[in-house]
Amino acid sequence: MSADTNNPPPRKDLLDIDSLSIEEIQFILSNAAPFKEVFTRSVKKVPALKGKTVLNLFYEPSTRTRSSFEIAEKRLSADVINFAVSQSSVVKGESILDTIDTLQAMKVDYIVVRHGASGVPNMIANHTKASVINAGDGFHAHPTQALLDAFTIGEEVDDFKGKKILIMGDVMHSRVARSVSTICNKLGMEVGCFGPGTLVPDFRHNFIQSFKNYEEAEEWGADVIYLLRLQLERQKSNFFPTIREYHQQYGINNDRFKRIREKGTMIMHPGPVNRGVELCDSVMSYERCLINQQVENGIATRMSILFWLQPEIASLPEELES
Amino acid sequence: MSKARLFKNGSIATETDAKPIKADVLVEKGIIQAVDQNIPVTDQLEVIDCTDKIIIPGLFDIHVHLREPGQEGKETIETGSRAALNGGITGVVAMPNTDPAIDSGGLVRYVLSIAKEKAVIPVHTTGCITKGRAGKELAEIADMVENGALMISDDGSPVDDPYVFRRALEYARNYDLPVACHCETMTLTAGGAMNEGEVSYTLGVPGVPSISEELCIDRDIRIAQYVGAHVHIQHVSSAKGMEIIRRFKNEGVKVTCEVSPHHLIFNETDVGDYDTNFKMSPPLRTAEDNALLLEGLKEGVFDVLATDHAPHTPFEKGKPFAEAPNGIIALDSALLSLYDRFIKTGAFGWDVLVKRYSAEPRRIIKHDLVNIEKGNAAEFIVFDPNVSTTITEEFLESKSINTPHINETLSGSVEKVILAGEIKLDRLAEGAEA
Repeated sequence: MSADTNNPPPRKDLLDIDSLSIEEIQFILSNAAPFKEVFTRSVKKVPALKGKTVLNLFYEPSTRTRSSFEIAEKRLSADVINFAVSQSSVVKGESILDTIDTLQAMKVDYIVVRHGASGVPNMIANHTKASVINAGDGFHAHPTQALLDAFTIGEEVDDFKGKKILIMGDVMHSRVARSVSTICNKLGMEVGCFGPGTLVPDFRHNFIQSFKNYEEAEEWGADVIYLLRLQLERQKSNFFPTIREYHQQYGINNDRFKRIREKGTMIMHPGPVNRGVELCDSVMSYERCLINQQVENGIATRMSILFWLQPEIASLPEELES
Repeated sequence: MSKARLFKNGSIATETDAKPIKADVLVEKGIIQAVDQNIPVTDQLEVIDCTDKIIIPGLFDIHVHLREPGQEGKETIETGSRAALNGGITGVVAMPNTDPAIDSGGLVRYVLSIAKEKAVIPVHTTGCITKGRAGKELAEIADMVENGALMISDDGSPVDDPYVFRRALEYARNYDLPVACHCETMTLTAGGAMNEGEVSYTLGVPGVPSISEELCIDRDIRIAQYVGAHVHIQHVSSAKGMEIIRRFKNEGVKVTCEVSPHHLIFNETDVGDYDTNFKMSPPLRTAEDNALLLEGLKEGVFDVLATDHAPHTPFEKGKPFAEAPNGIIALDSALLSLYDRFIKTGAFGWDVLVKRYSAEPRRIIKHDLVNIEKGNAAEFIVFDPNVSTTITEEFLESKSINTPHINETLSGSVEKVILAGEIKLDRLAEGAEA
């Protein structure tokens, strides 16, 4: 890839959006575009990570994110290992850091980690010289999702500044909401949210304004409506009474969709969608529904991230290694 | 018995004076024989120079976890007692959430027999309120009391069912002992791992709302008031919870309560990068809570300071934040941290330390005081405020190292600890740091 003269120096890890500067965010986004262009070639591969080993360490089941990373890694010519943790050492009582020590002994350069508990990528990053990429931890952060979403919005707007994003749904339990709201704020967008009182925390980031009803939110006039996936089992803990009421009150139903279509508001969703819950069927075929574009951009953005990060092991000159 | 000892030129910390008072202390046969301005030196006396040192009555911690029986990988009665001695604490009351839980007279006797055999300081124990701490059926409280239990508590969890709690308080009244309450409304805690607020939101860690604690404090004291029993509210972390206690105290309800050094010193922001040495139950609250709890301590809302010393292995504390067990160790470092953060800075005087961490805890369990007065047992600390102590793994006598002060240098040093007239710890003799 061609690099600009004043590129931000590479980081070892990508753990959250908070710690990224605006320059770093813009650098990752601008580098994703040429990677996306590679996908149109007959050979969709570049040699950027040739000879490097990437480990996908998923403690939570994931098909989409893991596949996206795997394709990104392979298109960068890295060697890829998928470590299926749920069936292995965790069950035997090995600690996470023991696992990392084992993997470090195998000399992996990058670790892509997803875990159900917040902070696990931080813990691993503090423990290894390999680059650690957070692929989602607890309710904490999902930085690659936020970056790919920002890239997707960037393809549709001339300037982020002053644009409005309305995040709808379960903000409380969403790492996506935390990372997406933070990146949008950093890029100069206005951030609003709308969801049940049980699922919109009072103590959220102070830059996120909250709306009490959809009409109020609609009047605010979002450029992007970002729907969060609802975990249906939250109903059991009384976060909302029924799926039916959730869809009527907090989803994009047919009435709302009609008005959205008239305005041309963009719709995004991190996937996988619950049809009839967050959105009605017709949204899926809406020309301004960017869900599939998000998936495609996910690969390019993750290539850009992997390309930018630098493991500490790799920075050692070869002659110093015994 | 060794010969008489004269602790010369030290300053005595008392319950009533913010500043220590210069005096010599003469000890013989385990008893303080004289406390006076200038006790003459004779050949019969072993003289211990205490110039610029402070003589503090032995501290007493009514809330510690010694993990024996069942969790000896974390701590034993012996190592826990050594940690206490290391920190100038000359008596502790162990909590009964061991494995098995101390819920019978036989187990109380077992624990006390190990204490007698292995512990380097007097170790006392609490018995459970309910069998197996399950909150369902009353434990044999009378049998535990007859075997030496000083308090009852299901510490680690509340007695969730108010009916069971009411019956426990009524039953315990005849035995005239405090019922120590871990106040938490489990359905509100709902798996939370740190104080609920902006920090927990940002870190993505499930929060524990302060109302979880406050509701239970209110409930427990109301039931105690209704039946006329003595409840002791453990480890108050919320300033609003403290205000509930203050209100009931003003109404004349027999309630005592404690605050831990960590809830005075640290708050939710210290969790930082998911450091499990800042994870405990109840959780660290806000900076505002720190300040208000400190005021409450100075105003006398809190009867006692107590650590809630809770050892866990590095493996357990190495788990992800939300999954790691609650609790930190503090016996080795409690006095140092209180001196470093509060006494040295002038936030409170030595009187607060002596009253709240030596005298009142003993009053609660009806033990004789060890204030530095003629006729009292010789049980005190020679504290050097002019040197510092680094809380290294080697310094810690606890079997575990899960303290937020790990590798921190704190002002002051517990130079000597005298127990029953004998010098049980002498850091100078060990050739420790100058």
